[in-house]
Amino acid sequence: MSCVNGAVPTTIIVAGLALAGYALLTTARNRRMDVILLAALGVLEILLLVQVGIIVARLAGGERPAGLATLIGYLIAMPLVPVAAAFWGLLERSRWGPAVIAVAGLVAAVLMVRLHQIWPVIRV
Amino acid sequence: MASPEPTASRPGSTRTGPGRVLIAIYALFALAASARAGVQIATKFGNAPVAYLLSAFAAVVYILATVTLAVGSPTARRIAVLSCSVELVGVLAVGTWSLADPATFPDATVWSGYGSGYGFVPLVLPVFGLLWLRRWTGWARTRRTIVPSAGDAGEAAGGGVDRGQGGGPGQGAEDVVADGGTQRGATPRSPA
Repeated sequence: MSCVNGAVPTTIIVAGLALAGYALLTTARNRRMDVILLAALGVLEILLLVQVGIIVARLAGGERPAGLATLIGYLIAMPLVPVAAAFWGLLERSRWGPAVIAVAGLVAAVLMVRLHQIWPVIRV
Repeated sequence: MASPEPTASRPGSTRTGPGRVLIAIYALFALAASARAGVQIATKFGNAPVAYLLSAFAAVVYILATVTLAVGSPTARRIAVLSCSVELVGVLAVGTWSLADPATFPDATVWSGYGSGYGFVPLVLPVFGLLWLRRWTGWARTRRTIVPSAGDAGEAAGGGVDRGQGGGPGQGAEDVVADGGTQRGATPRSPA
Protein backbone atom coordinates (compact mmCIF):
# COMPACT_ATOMS: atom_id res chain seq x y z
CA MET A 1 0.00 0.00 0.00
CA SER A 2 2.69 2.46 0.95
CA CYS A 3 4.55 1.45 -2.20
CA VAL A 4 1.56 2.43 -4.32
CA ASN A 5 1.12 5.64 -2.36
CA GLY A 6 4.69 6.61 -3.06
CA ALA A 7 4.81 5.58 -6.69
CA VAL A 8 1.87 7.64 -7.94
CA PRO A 9 2.94 11.08 -6.61
CA THR A 10 6.52 10.43 -7.77
CA THR A 11 5.24 9.50 -11.22
CA ILE A 12 3.10 12.66 -11.28
CA ILE A 13 6.11 14.80 -10.37
CA VAL A 14 8.26 13.23 -13.08
CA ALA A 15 5.43 13.40 -15.64
CA GLY A 16 4.63 17.00 -14.71
CA LEU A 17 8.23 18.12 -15.04
CA ALA A 18 8.67 16.23 -18.32
CA LEU A 19 5.48 17.79 -19.66
CA ALA A 20 6.67 21.25 -18.59
CA GLY A 21 10.02 20.69 -20.30
CA TYR A 22 8.46 19.53 -23.55
CA ALA A 23 5.89 22.35 -23.47
CA LEU A 24 8.60 24.96 -22.92
CA LEU A 25 10.53 23.47 -25.82
CA THR A 26 7.40 23.84 -27.94
CA THR A 27 7.12 27.48 -26.87
CA ALA A 28 10.80 28.07 -27.62
CA ARG A 29 10.32 26.59 -31.10
CA ASN A 30 7.29 28.87 -31.60
CA ARG A 31 4.89 25.98 -32.16
CA ARG A 32 1.29 25.77 -31.10
CA MET A 33 -0.10 23.06 -28.89
CA ASP A 34 0.00 19.67 -30.65
CA VAL A 35 -1.53 16.24 -30.17
CA ILE A 36 1.47 15.06 -28.13
CA LEU A 37 0.91 17.80 -25.56
CA LEU A 38 -2.81 17.07 -25.45
CA ALA A 39 -2.12 13.35 -24.92
CA ALA A 40 0.46 14.14 -22.23
CA LEU A 41 -2.11 16.30 -20.45
CA GLY A 42 -4.52 13.36 -20.67
CA VAL A 43 -1.97 11.04 -19.05
CA LEU A 44 -1.34 13.63 -16.31
CA GLU A 45 -5.09 13.92 -15.74
CA ILE A 46 -5.42 10.13 -15.34
CA LEU A 47 -2.49 10.04 -12.89
CA LEU A 48 -4.00 12.88 -10.85
CA LEU A 49 -7.38 11.12 -10.77
CA VAL A 50 -5.65 7.93 -9.55
CA GLN A 51 -4.02 9.99 -6.81
CA VAL A 52 -7.38 11.51 -5.87
CA GLY A 53 -8.83 8.00 -5.76
CA ILE A 54 -6.06 6.77 -3.43
CA ILE A 55 -6.60 9.71 -1.06
CA VAL A 56 -10.38 9.31 -1.07
CA ALA A 57 -9.92 5.60 -0.30
CA ARG A 58 -7.73 6.47 2.69
CA LEU A 59 -10.24 9.06 3.90
CA ALA A 60 -13.02 6.50 3.49
CA GLY A 61 -10.91 4.08 5.53
CA GLY A 62 -11.19 6.46 8.48
CA GLU A 63 -7.80 8.17 8.32
CA ARG A 64 -7.81 11.93 8.78
CA PRO A 65 -5.05 14.51 8.16
CA ALA A 66 -4.63 17.60 10.35
CA GLY A 67 -5.71 19.96 7.59
CA LEU A 68 -8.74 18.13 6.21
CA ALA A 69 -10.31 21.25 4.63
CA THR A 70 -7.10 22.03 2.75
CA LEU A 71 -6.80 18.43 1.58
CA ILE A 72 -10.35 18.45 0.23
CA GLY A 73 -9.53 21.70 -1.59
CA TYR A 74 -6.55 19.97 -3.19
CA LEU A 75 -8.70 16.99 -4.18
CA ILE A 76 -11.05 19.34 -6.02
CA ALA A 77 -8.33 21.53 -7.58
CA MET A 78 -5.91 18.79 -8.70
CA PRO A 79 -7.96 17.23 -11.53
CA LEU A 80 -8.91 20.70 -12.83
CA VAL A 81 -5.31 21.70 -13.61
CA PRO A 82 -4.76 19.62 -16.81
CA VAL A 83 -8.32 20.30 -17.98
CA ALA A 84 -7.88 24.06 -17.66
CA ALA A 85 -4.47 23.85 -19.35
CA ALA A 86 -5.86 21.83 -22.28
CA PHE A 87 -8.72 24.30 -22.68
CA TRP A 88 -6.37 27.30 -22.73
CA GLY A 89 -3.91 25.51 -24.96
CA LEU A 90 -6.66 24.94 -27.53
CA LEU A 91 -7.87 28.53 -27.14
CA GLU A 92 -4.49 30.22 -27.48
CA ARG A 93 -3.33 29.31 -30.98
CA SER A 94 0.21 30.56 -30.53
CA ARG A 95 3.40 29.59 -28.72
CA TRP A 96 1.84 30.82 -25.47
CA GLY A 97 -0.63 27.95 -25.36
CA PRO A 98 2.17 25.45 -24.63
CA ALA A 99 3.57 27.98 -22.12
CA VAL A 100 0.33 27.71 -20.13
CA ILE A 101 0.62 23.90 -20.34
CA ALA A 102 4.19 24.16 -18.98
CA VAL A 103 2.80 26.05 -16.00
CA ALA A 104 0.24 23.28 -15.48
CA GLY A 105 2.97 20.61 -15.49
CA LEU A 106 4.98 22.51 -12.88
CA VAL A 107 1.83 23.10 -10.82
CA ALA A 108 1.04 19.37 -10.83
CA ALA A 109 4.55 18.63 -9.52
CA VAL A 110 4.34 21.35 -6.84
CA LEU A 111 0.87 20.16 -5.79
CA MET A 112 2.31 16.69 -5.05
CA VAL A 113 5.02 18.15 -2.83
CA ARG A 114 2.44 20.31 -1.03
CA LEU A 115 0.14 17.30 -0.69
CA HIS A 116 2.93 15.48 1.07
CA GLN A 117 3.31 18.44 3.45
CA ILE A 118 -0.42 18.44 4.21
CA TRP A 119 -0.59 14.70 4.78
CA PRO A 120 2.81 13.02 5.16
CA VAL A 121 1.32 9.50 4.86
CA ILE A 122 1.13 10.26 1.13
CA ARG A 123 4.73 9.50 0.39
CA VAL A 124 6.44 11.29 -2.44
CA MET B 1 -7.28 48.47 -41.71
CA ALA B 2 -10.15 47.26 -39.56
CA SER B 3 -13.25 49.37 -39.23
CA PRO B 4 -14.96 49.78 -35.84
CA GLU B 5 -17.02 46.67 -35.21
CA PRO B 6 -18.89 45.23 -32.24
CA THR B 7 -15.76 43.31 -31.35
CA ALA B 8 -13.94 46.59 -30.84
CA SER B 9 -15.85 47.05 -27.60
CA ARG B 10 -14.28 43.85 -26.33
CA PRO B 11 -10.53 44.34 -26.61
CA GLY B 12 -8.96 41.16 -25.32
CA SER B 13 -5.39 42.17 -25.81
CA THR B 14 -4.06 41.70 -22.29
CA ARG B 15 -5.52 38.21 -22.13
CA THR B 16 -3.88 36.80 -25.24
CA GLY B 17 -0.34 35.64 -25.84
CA PRO B 18 1.94 35.94 -22.82
CA GLY B 19 -1.00 37.51 -21.02
CA ARG B 20 -2.65 34.11 -20.93
CA VAL B 21 0.30 32.66 -19.04
CA LEU B 22 0.15 35.58 -16.60
CA ILE B 23 -3.58 35.14 -16.09
CA ALA B 24 -3.13 31.40 -15.54
CA ILE B 25 -0.59 32.02 -12.78
CA TYR B 26 -2.64 34.87 -11.32
CA ALA B 27 -5.75 32.68 -11.30
CA LEU B 28 -3.79 29.96 -9.54
CA PHE B 29 -2.57 32.37 -6.87
CA ALA B 30 -6.03 33.91 -6.52
CA LEU B 31 -7.43 30.44 -5.89
CA ALA B 32 -4.61 29.31 -3.60
CA ALA B 33 -4.50 32.53 -1.56
CA SER B 34 -8.26 32.80 -1.10
CA ALA B 35 -8.64 29.12 -0.22
CA ARG B 36 -5.75 29.33 2.22
CA ALA B 37 -6.98 32.57 3.81
CA GLY B 38 -10.51 31.20 4.03
CA VAL B 39 -9.41 28.04 5.82
CA GLN B 40 -7.06 29.94 8.14
CA ILE B 41 -9.59 32.61 9.12
CA ALA B 42 -12.38 30.07 9.58
CA THR B 43 -10.42 27.55 11.67
CA LYS B 44 -7.66 29.37 13.58
CA PHE B 45 -7.99 33.12 13.23
CA GLY B 46 -6.69 33.80 16.77
CA ASN B 47 -3.30 32.20 16.08
CA ALA B 48 -1.99 34.82 13.69
CA PRO B 49 -4.66 37.43 12.87
CA VAL B 50 -2.25 39.79 11.09
CA ALA B 51 -0.88 37.04 8.87
CA TYR B 52 -4.33 35.71 7.98
CA LEU B 53 -5.78 39.14 7.23
CA LEU B 54 -2.79 39.87 4.99
CA SER B 55 -3.39 36.53 3.25
CA ALA B 56 -7.00 37.55 2.65
CA PHE B 57 -5.88 40.95 1.35
CA ALA B 58 -3.40 39.25 -0.99
CA ALA B 59 -6.19 36.99 -2.21
CA VAL B 60 -8.36 40.01 -3.07
CA VAL B 61 -5.48 41.64 -4.95
CA TYR B 62 -4.82 38.45 -6.93
CA ILE B 63 -8.50 38.07 -7.82
CA LEU B 64 -8.62 41.71 -8.94
CA ALA B 65 -5.49 41.29 -11.08
CA THR B 66 -6.80 38.05 -12.63
CA VAL B 67 -10.17 39.53 -13.55
CA THR B 68 -8.85 42.85 -14.86
CA LEU B 69 -6.13 41.20 -16.96
CA ALA B 70 -8.76 38.88 -18.40
CA VAL B 71 -11.19 41.71 -19.18
CA GLY B 72 -8.50 43.88 -20.74
CA SER B 73 -10.53 47.04 -21.36
CA PRO B 74 -8.71 50.37 -20.83
CA THR B 75 -10.39 50.81 -17.44
CA ALA B 76 -9.63 47.22 -16.47
CA ARG B 77 -6.00 47.73 -17.47
CA ARG B 78 -5.74 50.75 -15.20
CA ILE B 79 -7.14 48.70 -12.31
CA ALA B 80 -4.76 45.88 -13.25
CA VAL B 81 -1.80 48.29 -13.09
CA LEU B 82 -3.02 49.45 -9.68
CA SER B 83 -3.46 45.92 -8.32
CA CYS B 84 -0.08 44.78 -9.67
CA SER B 85 1.53 47.82 -8.04
CA VAL B 86 -0.23 47.15 -4.73
CA GLU B 87 0.91 43.54 -5.03
CA LEU B 88 4.54 44.52 -5.60
CA VAL B 89 4.51 47.01 -2.71
CA GLY B 90 2.70 44.41 -0.58
CA VAL B 91 5.16 41.60 -1.22
CA LEU B 92 8.12 43.92 -0.53
CA ALA B 93 6.55 45.44 2.61
CA VAL B 94 5.20 42.20 4.07
CA GLY B 95 8.41 40.38 3.12
CA THR B 96 10.51 42.92 5.00
CA TRP B 97 8.03 43.04 7.89
CA SER B 98 7.98 39.24 8.24
CA LEU B 99 11.78 39.13 8.41
CA ALA B 100 12.06 42.10 10.80
CA ASP B 101 9.27 41.04 13.14
CA PRO B 102 8.76 37.25 12.95
CA ALA B 103 6.60 37.32 16.13
CA THR B 104 3.74 38.94 14.19
CA PHE B 105 3.86 36.07 11.70
CA PRO B 106 3.72 32.77 13.59
CA ASP B 107 2.09 31.38 10.47
CA ALA B 108 3.18 32.27 6.94
CA THR B 109 1.29 34.43 4.44
CA VAL B 110 1.65 34.31 0.67
CA TRP B 111 3.96 37.31 0.91
CA SER B 112 6.10 36.24 3.91
CA GLY B 113 9.83 36.25 3.18
CA TYR B 114 9.13 37.88 -0.21
CA GLY B 115 7.08 34.86 -1.22
CA SER B 116 9.82 32.34 -0.44
CA GLY B 117 7.20 29.71 0.43
CA TYR B 118 5.93 29.96 -3.14
CA GLY B 119 9.26 29.90 -4.95
CA PHE B 120 9.41 33.73 -4.99
CA VAL B 121 6.71 33.69 -7.67
CA PRO B 122 4.71 36.35 -5.72
CA LEU B 123 7.75 38.66 -6.02
CA VAL B 124 8.34 38.08 -9.74
CA LEU B 125 4.70 37.96 -10.85
CA PRO B 126 3.77 41.66 -10.32
CA VAL B 127 6.97 42.73 -12.11
CA PHE B 128 6.02 40.69 -15.17
CA GLY B 129 2.43 41.88 -14.84
CA LEU B 130 3.46 45.54 -14.85
CA LEU B 131 5.88 45.02 -17.75
CA TRP B 132 3.20 43.27 -19.75
CA LEU B 133 0.61 45.97 -19.02
CA ARG B 134 3.06 48.79 -19.71
CA ARG B 135 4.13 47.26 -22.99
CA TRP B 136 0.61 46.78 -24.20
CA THR B 137 -0.79 50.13 -23.10
CA GLY B 138 2.22 51.90 -24.61
CA TRP B 139 1.60 50.15 -27.91
CA ALA B 140 -2.12 50.94 -27.83
CA ARG B 141 -1.53 54.60 -27.08
CA THR B 142 0.58 55.11 -30.18
CA ARG B 143 -1.97 53.29 -32.35
CA ARG B 144 -5.20 54.66 -30.93
CA THR B 145 -4.89 57.90 -32.88
CA ILE B 146 -4.53 56.00 -36.15
CA VAL B 147 -6.71 52.90 -35.80
CA PRO B 148 -10.18 53.56 -34.35
CA SER B 149 -10.61 49.94 -33.24
CA ALA B 150 -7.42 49.64 -31.27
CA GLY B 151 -8.91 46.59 -29.62
CA ASP B 152 -8.79 44.42 -32.73
CA ALA B 153 -5.34 45.54 -33.68
CA GLY B 154 -4.18 45.08 -30.12
CA GLU B 155 -5.48 41.54 -30.04
CA ALA B 156 -3.37 40.63 -33.03
CA ALA B 157 -0.37 42.27 -31.43
CA GLY B 158 -1.00 40.46 -28.16
CA GLY B 159 -0.74 37.09 -29.85
CA GLY B 160 2.47 38.03 -31.54
CA VAL B 161 4.45 39.49 -28.69
CA ASP B 162 7.69 37.62 -28.47
CA ARG B 163 10.12 36.88 -25.65
CA GLY B 164 7.63 37.73 -22.96
CA GLN B 165 7.94 41.11 -21.37
CA GLY B 166 11.59 41.72 -21.92
CA GLY B 167 11.63 43.05 -25.47
CA GLY B 168 11.54 46.67 -26.51
CA PRO B 169 8.75 48.43 -28.42
CA GLY B 170 10.57 48.01 -31.71
CA GLN B 171 10.67 44.27 -31.28
CA GLY B 172 6.92 44.22 -30.72
CA ALA B 173 6.20 45.71 -34.13
CA GLU B 174 8.49 43.20 -35.75
CA ASP B 175 6.72 40.36 -33.97
CA VAL B 176 3.33 41.40 -35.26
CA VAL B 177 4.64 40.86 -38.76
CA ALA B 178 6.40 37.62 -37.89
CA ASP B 179 3.39 36.23 -36.08
CA GLY B 180 0.98 37.09 -38.85
CA GLY B 181 2.91 34.70 -41.04
CA THR B 182 3.35 31.91 -38.55
CA GLN B 183 0.12 31.81 -36.60
CA ARG B 184 -1.86 29.70 -39.05
CA GLY B 185 0.87 27.43 -40.33
CA ALA B 186 2.63 26.90 -37.01
CA THR B 187 5.93 27.06 -38.78
CA PRO B 188 9.07 28.11 -36.90
CA ARG B 189 9.51 31.82 -36.53
CA SER B 190 11.84 33.32 -39.05
CA PRO B 191 15.21 34.20 -37.52
CA ALA B 192 15.20 37.84 -36.55
